[in-house]
Amino acid sequence: MDSPSPKPLYVPGQVPERRFSDEELVWTAEEQQRIDGWVAQYPTSDGAVMKVLWLAQEKFAWLPAEVIKFVAETLGLPYAKVFGVATFYTQYYKQEMGTWVLDVCTCFACQLCGGYDMLHYLEDQLGITKGETTEDGMFSIQEVECLGACGSAPMLQVTNGPYIHNLTAAKCDTLLAGLRAGKVPAFESVTLPQDEDDLGGNRRSDAEAVEAYQTPPVSETIE
Amino acid sequence: MEAPKINDGTTKAGDWRTYQRVLLPPVRDLHQIEVYEQHGGYSALRAVLNDGKFDPQGLGAHVKESGLRGRGGAAFNTGMKWSFMPPVDPDVPRFLCCNGDESEPGTFKDRQLFEYNPHLVIEGMVLGNFAITAKACYIYIRGEYASWIDHFQRAVDEAYAKGYIGENILGSGFSTDIVVHKGAGAYICGEETSLMESLEGKRGYPRVKPPFPAQKGIWGRPTTINNVETLACVPLIVNHGAEWFSSMGAERHPGPLLYGIAGHINKPGVYEFPTGMLISDLIDEVCGGMRGGKKFKALVPGGSSTPVLTAEQCVGATMDSDSLREAGSMLGTAGMLVMDEDTDMVAFLRRITHFYHHESCGQCTPCREGTGWLEKLVTRIDEGEGNMRDLDLLLDLCDQIEGRTICALADAAAWPVRWTIRRFRHEFEAKCKPAVFAGADLQGDGASGQLVPVV
Repeated sequence: MDSPSPKPLYVPGQVPERRFSDEELVWTAEEQQRIDGWVAQYPTSDGAVMKVLWLAQEKFAWLPAEVIKFVAETLGLPYAKVFGVATFYTQYYKQEMGTWVLDVCTCFACQLCGGYDMLHYLEDQLGITKGETTEDGMFSIQEVECLGACGSAPMLQVTNGPYIHNLTAAKCDTLLAGLRAGKVPAFESVTLPQDEDDLGGNRRSDAEAVEAYQTPPVSETIE
Repeated sequence: MEAPKINDGTTKAGDWRTYQRVLLPPVRDLHQIEVYEQHGGYSALRAVLNDGKFDPQGLGAHVKESGLRGRGGAAFNTGMKWSFMPPVDPDVPRFLCCNGDESEPGTFKDRQLFEYNPHLVIEGMVLGNFAITAKACYIYIRGEYASWIDHFQRAVDEAYAKGYIGENILGSGFSTDIVVHKGAGAYICGEETSLMESLEGKRGYPRVKPPFPAQKGIWGRPTTINNVETLACVPLIVNHGAEWFSSMGAERHPGPLLYGIAGHINKPGVYEFPTGMLISDLIDEVCGGMRGGKKFKALVPGGSSTPVLTAEQCVGATMDSDSLREAGSMLGTAGMLVMDEDTDMVAFLRRITHFYHHESCGQCTPCREGTGWLEKLVTRIDEGEGNMRDLDLLLDLCDQIEGRTICALADAAAWPVRWTIRRFRHEFEAKCKPAVFAGADLQGDGASGQLVPVV
């Protein structure tokens, strides 16, 4: 179950290889405006550091040392402090990931409902194991802790974004095909069982409803 | 004299079959502010700010009277928590934090509020700000909920545009702000002091208490931290009155409650009912029974850290803190996980110990090292390499971890191990190597052994 620890960003005495040049490490006017807005939300600029790291990850796809340094300079904070924050939280990518990161939940509710089956199915389909990236740089698979969607287990999250509920092998295939075609999955709204009688199951008219309780048992055995 | 038994098999939820939902009422598109207003939204805020229904102390006292207890796990009286804030000093800003981290495995109720009824949460936050005279409310939502953070931010923007948040709300002279903070994947940030560290832009290391958040919270200012569902109950209390609230559900733990039910049942999902529902009613009637007609075996009543209950212990027990304490567990977040007869409790525990090992922040040695040892030992037993003495070693480890760390994560890691082993010891023993020495008399006939006396 142990996943390999991420590679160290720095080896003492070595200057890390840069992935982004100084010309690339700039905010656009619009981004700078958003950052200023975030800084204003907190008594000190420290509070905005997580939001700026999120923005940096959206822009640069991951957080190598020079991006963390760039964020630190933006907010006028010590590099070490921002480095500490970036390495504490699991959703900040400290190494280069695939275009699509599949975070498969296997925590106990998903485990009981077949989360490991889905994880192994995806691993087989993509020919990699968890923690790895496909050779074409398209997909990474991660095994993650509870994502708070236990009622629609098993499930996964695509690149810190949309949730895919009630996974089945067929749904995984559709997902992979869609992602290969560059299609970002739409937001799925999980039906509340109590709404079934009152609202016909769908209470949001702006989202596609997913009925959680119609998923057949995926797994006969539990790992 | 023995105290009267609480779990006598009667439901405390009253006539729950005809219960009208209030936290997630059956209204289409309630997440849109216009629809929310049409259904009486923001009337509690108007009543308090414009009509002077309550002053801040009065609102706090009313919430205290209603008996609302925190829905995030500790079940502490909310009005009481507010009253711990020091007297108002105009020079010292005060803050409210809304805890939407919701990382406890098995818990997924707050997400439904963000998705379906965000304005109720916003209204509750503004009322909470009013009750403790807070300058701003920071709502911390876990980073995985990216889609729901967008939904919620949109709702906050709408409420700002309509003047329910911001300067001089509804012309009352009261001003306050709401800031949505996005986490980035750390279970520990659901712990209140760790959440404050994270808000301040640091690593989420829990702080030593005291000083408590009410004295020194975010940026050293007085702070109160409430769960999303707790704050969502506040407008309901203002609208319907404390008596209405306290008469609903279990006597000492009243109010509506979101039950997040998952696992081997036919209809998993979030259900809203009063507190004090019989576990058997929830499983058999509400959730349509066990999946595939299997037998009910065990239940985690409120998130991974609450001790697992056997089916026998669930008989007659209801979902409120007193009843579950008698049954041998806790209400926690009411995120229930139902397991059927095929569940392997060792594999189940192995996954839980993996979770706590992964999520330990590493600040205190007993937790950082101890959770790792728990995982290693349970993994070893699960793989059939464990010895009988490992079970006692595990229990001893729990003794060494519990209560010896800054925050409660270590306790939360130790409890499932302790109680799963105590209640399902036979399953663990079945996977362990038999505790015998070479040459033992396994037949028990006194002849088949090869006992050689050591001189």
